[in-house]
Amino acid sequence: MNSRERVLKLFKGEQVDRVPCFSGMGNVTEEGIKKLEYKFAAIHLDAEMMAKTAASTYKLFGFECGVVPVDLCVEAEAMGCVINVYPHAEGILYPTIKEKLIHNENEMDIAIPPDLAARGRVPLLKEAIKLLKEDIGNEVAVGSYVLGPFTLAGQIMELNDLLKLSFKKADKVAKLLDVMADAIIIVAKEYESAGVDFITVREMGATSDVLSPRVFKNLILPPLQKIIKELKAYSVLHICGKTNDIVTFMMEAKPTAISVEQKNDVVETRKKLGNDALIFGNYDPYNVLVSGTEDLVRSTIRKCIDDGVSAIWPGCDIWPTVPPQNMTAMMDETKKYGGKK
Amino acid sequence: MADEAKKKEILEKLRNGVIQYDEDTCKEAAQEALDAGLDANEAIFDGLVSGMEEVGRLFEAQEYFVPEILMCADALYAGLDILKPHCKQMDIGVKGAVVIGTVEGDVHDIGKNLVKMMFDVAGFTVYDLGRDVPLDKFVEEQLKTDSELVCLSAMMTTSMVGMPKVIEKIKEKNPNCMIMIGGAPTSKELADKWGADGYAEDASNALKEAIKMVSFLKKLRDEKAARQQ
Repeated sequence: MNSRERVLKLFKGEQVDRVPCFSGMGNVTEEGIKKLEYKFAAIHLDAEMMAKTAASTYKLFGFECGVVPVDLCVEAEAMGCVINVYPHAEGILYPTIKEKLIHNENEMDIAIPPDLAARGRVPLLKEAIKLLKEDIGNEVAVGSYVLGPFTLAGQIMELNDLLKLSFKKADKVAKLLDVMADAIIIVAKEYESAGVDFITVREMGATSDVLSPRVFKNLILPPLQKIIKELKAYSVLHICGKTNDIVTFMMEAKPTAISVEQKNDVVETRKKLGNDALIFGNYDPYNVLVSGTEDLVRSTIRKCIDDGVSAIWPGCDIWPTVPPQNMTAMMDETKKYGGKK
Repeated sequence: MADEAKKKEILEKLRNGVIQYDEDTCKEAAQEALDAGLDANEAIFDGLVSGMEEVGRLFEAQEYFVPEILMCADALYAGLDILKPHCKQMDIGVKGAVVIGTVEGDVHDIGKNLVKMMFDVAGFTVYDLGRDVPLDKFVEEQLKTDSELVCLSAMMTTSMVGMPKVIEKIKEKNPNCMIMIGGAPTSKELADKWGADGYAEDASNALKEAIKMVSFLKKLRDEKAARQQ
């Protein structure tokens, strides 16, 4: 069973020989970027560089996927925000939104540009997906990600205002989130047409560290349901931070799998959702994978498996400065221990 | 001096205005406090800050979430803006200036703004550099202002890694400057490893840490007042 078969079988709900070790979020490494002699800021703007960098984590370490994009600004940029890729940065800085689209409450009534699929880097992403598939698509599952509606709204307007309005004027926010959902669907459809096997919906901003489970259910869940219903590829719903109180709502969005991070008590989640639910997670990609020892990496992987994850999957983007020996330890431990449960 | 019952009523109104995120009530109560001749510092600490302490508790109990806290902060500022011009410089042996900002690569500033609020309340001079701030700017600003404290915030793992460079540069030039780091991906271990003096992992913890600090100032003030009597 190769990595591709393993991951696709898992998504289908079929038996696999062991848990796979992959991600639906960013996983490029400095090791890979160095070998390719690229500059980090450049890989976001060139389909070939993006695809080659994305493939390098599989090629160097056997990490069982290929995922583009690398940054989180594709949708907001296509909607009309201006991004900053920090072209002059020495180290690694991820692109951010420099200019928002909505500046105050009165500007919230926005429309999706009719040519959204042709704007910003959406075409570049399609090209990158095709290249990535040509390169390693027979060996691993190829994935992409979109933001969740609330997280995208938080890029398009001041997060501060969005949060307050989600309390004071929930109707207005619900309307905006519905527009965000439509935009996200358009982008996701483009990725699907380029041939991705799975799409992760990253609704990082709607964690229970920030919003109450009640607001999540009333405001965030409906547009998430709308998006996931439209997806033909396998879908993974990811939320950061505390999620134990909302995992059942996450399941109500009907993704193929849910993804949680280290703050989630997976034993509890498994109990709540039953044996058939696909739960991906839930190790700390910085404090374990980057700054931890190999021993910590190995013991964490074993704990994730013992707790009942369906796939070893990082809680967020893998930070590129990850030491190569820790990547190797993670893969090795997953292979050794991942079939025992 | 206002009579005790009236004073208590006004302080309670300020406190409740913050807890119930009611800007108008806070404004009204702040004006009443001034009209009644209440000490502005007292109105801030025993009214507004006392309300924020309760908000911190409600957040911890998961009755309040970030939207509520932001609204409470607006209410606090509504009162503070009126009271602050009437504050006497607090003579409690702690006065200071702080440089605060979110590091380059990060555009999140909610936690940073909550911490800033508590410094404003405590009467610090706050140099707010905003968000997405180039690392060297922190060092420059600290040297320029000779601030006792520098606060670095990062919400994303991806932007946090610039922090040790700033800490090193500042400590090299000014070993006595205290540095506090904050944001979801930070931890006590990282703070220790990077040589920072304190940390807060999220907005609520930042708020808690800042409340703790301001409560401590309040205690000093009360003790001093008690000694003087």
